Amino acid sequence: MSVLEYLANGLVFSSIIVLSSIGLSLVYSIANFANFAHGDTMTVGAYTALVTFGFVGTLGAEVLGLPLGFFLALVVGVAVAAAVAVVTHKVVYEPLDVGSIGLLITSIGVAFVYRAIVQLGFGTEFIEFQIPLLRPIEALLPFGIRMTLHDVAILASTAVLVAGLHALLQYTDLGRKMRATADNPSLARVSGIRTDRIEIWTWVIGAGLAGAGGVFLGLYNNISPRMGFNILLVVFAAVILGGIGSVYGAMAGGFLIGMINQLTPILPRLGQEIPFVPESFGIPIGIEYANAIAFLIMVAVLLVRPSGIAGEEAT
Amino acid sequence: MSVADGARDWFAELTRAEQGVVGFIVALTALLLFGLVTGGLAPTYFLYLVGLVGMYVLLSFGLNVQWGYTGLINFSVAAFFGIGAYGTALLTAGNSPVGADGWQFSLAGVELVWVSGARLYGLLPLTVLGLLFAVALAAAVAFAIGIPTLRLRADYLAIASLGLAEVVRLLFLNQRDVTNGSAGLRGLPGFFDGWPVLGTLPQTLPGVQVHELQLGIPGLFTTRVLGFTLGAPFWQALLNVALVLAMVAAVFAVLRRVHRSPWGRVLRTIRSDEDLAEALGKDTYAFKMQSFVLGSVIMALAGVFYAHLNLFVSPGDLEPINTFYVWIAVILGGSGSNRGAIFGGFVVIAIREGTRFLGEVLPASFPLDLPLVTSTYATIVNNFASTRLLAVGVLIILVMRFRPQGVLPPQRELIWPASVAASAGPGETTPRETIDEETTATATATDPEAEPEVDDAARDGGESDE
Repeated sequence: MSVLEYLANGLVFSSIIVLSSIGLSLVYSIANFANFAHGDTMTVGAYTALVTFGFVGTLGAEVLGLPLGFFLALVVGVAVAAAVAVVTHKVVYEPLDVGSIGLLITSIGVAFVYRAIVQLGFGTEFIEFQIPLLRPIEALLPFGIRMTLHDVAILASTAVLVAGLHALLQYTDLGRKMRATADNPSLARVSGIRTDRIEIWTWVIGAGLAGAGGVFLGLYNNISPRMGFNILLVVFAAVILGGIGSVYGAMAGGFLIGMINQLTPILPRLGQEIPFVPESFGIPIGIEYANAIAFLIMVAVLLVRPSGIAGEEAT
Repeated sequence: MSVADGARDWFAELTRAEQGVVGFIVALTALLLFGLVTGGLAPTYFLYLVGLVGMYVLLSFGLNVQWGYTGLINFSVAAFFGIGAYGTALLTAGNSPVGADGWQFSLAGVELVWVSGARLYGLLPLTVLGLLFAVALAAAVAFAIGIPTLRLRADYLAIASLGLAEVVRLLFLNQRDVTNGSAGLRGLPGFFDGWPVLGTLPQTLPGVQVHELQLGIPGLFTTRVLGFTLGAPFWQALLNVALVLAMVAAVFAVLRRVHRSPWGRVLRTIRSDEDLAEALGKDTYAFKMQSFVLGSVIMALAGVFYAHLNLFVSPGDLEPINTFYVWIAVILGGSGSNRGAIFGGFVVIAIREGTRFLGEVLPASFPLDLPLVTSTYATIVNNFASTRLLAVGVLIILVMRFRPQGVLPPQRELIWPASVAASAGPGETTPRETIDEETTATATATDPEAEPEVDDAARDGGESDE
């Protein structure tokens, strides 16, 4: 496989990480705790889409190699992930009186409950969307890139969602209120912002994006009850690299971590791929350690610049 | 006063929660003994379970040092446990690619280190070497992960330690040339193999035949009880239980002493208000690091015990769920309370074995044919791994919701027994101690409910400053 192809793959995987790390960072900045149930929220979105797709899969014309039914399933997955998160917020987090550390520990319990319910309902096997695999796009083959229309669909959808979030945060009333609440909740409250409603909207948007990330992860790889928990480490690494609590930092961090994750196979033969570097140069690491690289980056960021690319003070 | 009166008085003096805990432990022990007597539980397996309780108690002690005393969130309990188990297994396991048997190291013709016949220098048992190696490895890893995270807010350690757990698991799974990969390491010796006397004790002890008894009312029902032979495996298991009890007792004694010492007081101050501790001139980073390493070493000890109990370790032992069993034990028992940690160890075994037992005992389908109920019942009964996960998750949420301070929050154990006896008041203590107690100890000592509130106030204050 060529470097360009790895980069293309990295772009697709990055999209998934970007979607989920934005949600995690958003929830962190407003609900004020590290939500360990975020990965399992992705799983919830993926399984909801799977079920919905079973009903409406054949519906409609094809767009980007996917039936319209898939996009309907995506919307339902996003909606259910958001609804589940809001219900969890109302039933579990809101009545708690334990501070942000207590919320963090509780979120682990929530994560287990989500995953256990998914396992009870669907078993622990890997499942795939019943969508026929596509041939790579012919026009890109001369460049050594094997990319299917499905990958393009993931990229395009992510671009739409990220642009939409940017517009929401910068140009709407809700976005301004969210930024104000993230900045200083007490000041926002005395200014007349109903911060409790803003918090619910945060959960809707954060969990919705996670749900979308989960659906795309299911389309990109496959679906299993542990998919979200397994990717949580990578998502956290992205959020810390970007600066915890910063939405735009999470985009940058998600992009970088996703890229590096998919570029792991060329690390051992780095010298052959990059000009002006000795042929024999390479970082000897196997692809089974792709997640470990994300961890090492996280540790390095914490050592050198704990506030990340765009974050606030970390201490 | 008879023994019964004494017991009743003692029971009446306990708080409501303590009475409940005593009741729970008595009931669980009675249930286990019932299983033992009726033959539902083989004696060796019974002792194995007791050993596992001890192991979870040790793990809970370790987490208690980190989370309970100092407020450090460690989500890699399973990793340090695994490091302990693999640390000793790598040196002692029969199929270990880097086993220590046959090691020689000589310098200028003088043999400095040699291992043969499972002994170091022909004297020191290899398992002791394994224990020391495991503990050193765990301390080194804890130190390494502490450097980037302990200067930062508490949630960074939570995130990084979750990552560490995954990386350690990946390493043990994938470094086949060292760890034998997913096949795991088998053929470990028992901990006392190679020891003088204790090594061969189980074989030399005589087998005991416990005769079968028939109980019951003639004509109505009869049941057969007892009727098993206690041979070498039983004595071996008993020896393991003695080992874990010794470990638990030693760690408990050390922790109790440490907890009441000035060092322990600084840790509790850090937990409730780190800024205050720094304002008092304490190097909180150093204190947090010491506490983190101490806790991790205790977890590794539990791992060492497990490796020589199970005689087999595999990467499956490092699953994240094991971390959260220990979390349940600590937060349910009462963060910062070692009595609570002991209680928590029992609860974990009750969850693990209870769900397994229910899975075997309950009928596979619901007796009545109701819509929804029948299918839900079948799903839950037939997937006990998932049900256990559900139970763990629900329990974490319920504890945090309804009793965040745990069932047995630390009370009297924070105070020197002498000052309890002379409870005339703070006038008898030195001025220095009075200051410390005002900040931390008295709040927890006089009112069990007070501690979480102090913590919350401190945390809320800290957050609004940012």
